[in-house]
Amino acid sequence: MSERMKIVKIALWWFGIVLAIVLPFLLPKDYHVHMLVLAGIYSILALSLGLIMGFTGQVSLCHAAFYGIGAYTSSLLALNWDWPFWISLWVGAIGAGFVSFLLGCLVLRLKGHFLAITTAFFGIFVALLFNNLTELTKGPMGLPGIPRPASIDLGFLKIDFITRTSYYYLVLCFAGFAGYCIYRLIHSRFGQAMIAIRENEELSQSIGVNSMKIKLLSFTVGGMFAGLAGAIYAHYILFISPVSFTLAESINILTMVIFGGMQSFWGPIVGSFLLTILPEFLRMAGELRMTLYGLALMLLIIFLPSGLVCSIKEKWFSPSK
Amino acid sequence: MEIIFQQILNGVIIGSVYCLIALGLTMIFGILEVTNFAHGEIYMIGAYTSLFITSQLEIHFLLSLLIAMAVVGVLGVFIERVVFRPILGKPMINGMLLSFGLSIFLTNLALLLFKADPRKIESGYSQVRLTFAGLQLTLERLMVIIVSTLLVIALYFFIQKTKLGKAMRAVTQDREAAQLAGVSISNIFALTFAMGCSLAAAAGSLGGALFTVYPSMGWTPVLKSFVVVIMGGFGNVAGAIIAAMLLGLTESLCGGFISYAYKDAYAFLLLVVVLLIKPEGIVGGRG
Repeated sequence: MSERMKIVKIALWWFGIVLAIVLPFLLPKDYHVHMLVLAGIYSILALSLGLIMGFTGQVSLCHAAFYGIGAYTSSLLALNWDWPFWISLWVGAIGAGFVSFLLGCLVLRLKGHFLAITTAFFGIFVALLFNNLTELTKGPMGLPGIPRPASIDLGFLKIDFITRTSYYYLVLCFAGFAGYCIYRLIHSRFGQAMIAIRENEELSQSIGVNSMKIKLLSFTVGGMFAGLAGAIYAHYILFISPVSFTLAESINILTMVIFGGMQSFWGPIVGSFLLTILPEFLRMAGELRMTLYGLALMLLIIFLPSGLVCSIKEKWFSPSK
Repeated sequence: MEIIFQQILNGVIIGSVYCLIALGLTMIFGILEVTNFAHGEIYMIGAYTSLFITSQLEIHFLLSLLIAMAVVGVLGVFIERVVFRPILGKPMINGMLLSFGLSIFLTNLALLLFKADPRKIESGYSQVRLTFAGLQLTLERLMVIIVSTLLVIALYFFIQKTKLGKAMRAVTQDREAAQLAGVSISNIFALTFAMGCSLAAAAGSLGGALFTVYPSMGWTPVLKSFVVVIMGGFGNVAGAIIAAMLLGLTESLCGGFISYAYKDAYAFLLLVVVLLIKPEGIVGGRG
């Protein structure tokens, strides 16, 4: 049985990889590829928030702030000093990680509701900075004309980032990279410590887990990947403004994580894809769109409290059967 | 010098609005352990109810405030039963996200029904000017302070002196023990939610008279009120009152003398300072 499961698993992996590679060619419209790129960016955000919330159990309502810090840092470096994307991207990610680290030092002593509301206010604070530091960020006007990534010449293959498909592969690579890092992290000794903190912080401390250090690690890594996603977003959309990085966006990312199921690795990824694509169907509802979205969110929490992936796992793959 | 006193007065007025919202929030948290982000929308519904009653039915503003409190209180019971009861005992993040859903739903429903243009509740007192020791004050603004003080006193007596109030405090301290002593948890939940919503409705009517009424009017005040709740200590009524005044004063003084653009940031800075110095809240502990 386990041998067969293994084969099925490997087959599924290969199927997934091949599907991910050919997917843009199967879709009829350029717009669909655009949705996929956005879903890919969101999956990086949801994965990193899943690390903080699902695995370490720390509720953060300021993920969009790190996303924004990454986006603004990278774009300002590219616009003002002509830094190439391939470097400014990492500076944006590290900058967001650094801010995340500082915030973590300040607020990670708090728990539950306290932490949630304090981080929410940090998010509002950062959005206010984007809006009011007009000399640097041009305020609500936003930053137009962010350059595209420089093209890559592999000799046999030249990729210049003009088509949506090329961006798709870029995001695919980075999402894969983020997924790999986070997967390795949660399956390492640190990941075990994170889960221990989530389940019972005092108990984990009593067996020698330095909970502050582990929480800070999770917060910093989460913030860093959010910054990475922000930088990619900025150089894809080519325009950023404070409205993309508000508390509402943080809640949106949070919903993806919860919808998919925050205590599983795949949950946030599934959540981000479904919640990028499903709301497109709500467009048909016109004016009623956001009202229905709120209603759907409520029904979701009431009827699927542990998220899609976790609920399916419990139902079909529970070890008791 | 006069400007400083004027700003202090403004701070007290805005502080009393925060206070009413925060008291409802802190009661609901103390008993149901839900961080209700939709409380701002309850505030908005209270404001629209009062607006409708004063403008369409031409009923006196203070009476409309009482009617709005009653109507929204009943709505609160409904919301508690239908929305929050099913997830009782689930992780806190679920309650939080549920309230976000409710908040999005109610804001957009209001946007469909009432459109986005801001309106104002005519209390009839906004033109009556009072001069007191060189300070300018309209009767309307004085009324905000008086009405909220009366409501806070009434709430205090209810919680401290009546049997239901004692039952509520018992549930806050220990849900199971209260249940064993014969308190009907279900009724206390409904009552708490109703009272919290009524207070928000009162705040909404007053806020709608002071400022304007529009579908997303509740979003910022409720976030500020959360800061008040944290600073006062979750579930702590006396702490919430002091913290509300502190936040109102900080906002109006810093907004007046430092920078108005960062008005919403002061709440965050104040929160960080309080959490660094006294993480258990200004008054300390859960009361």
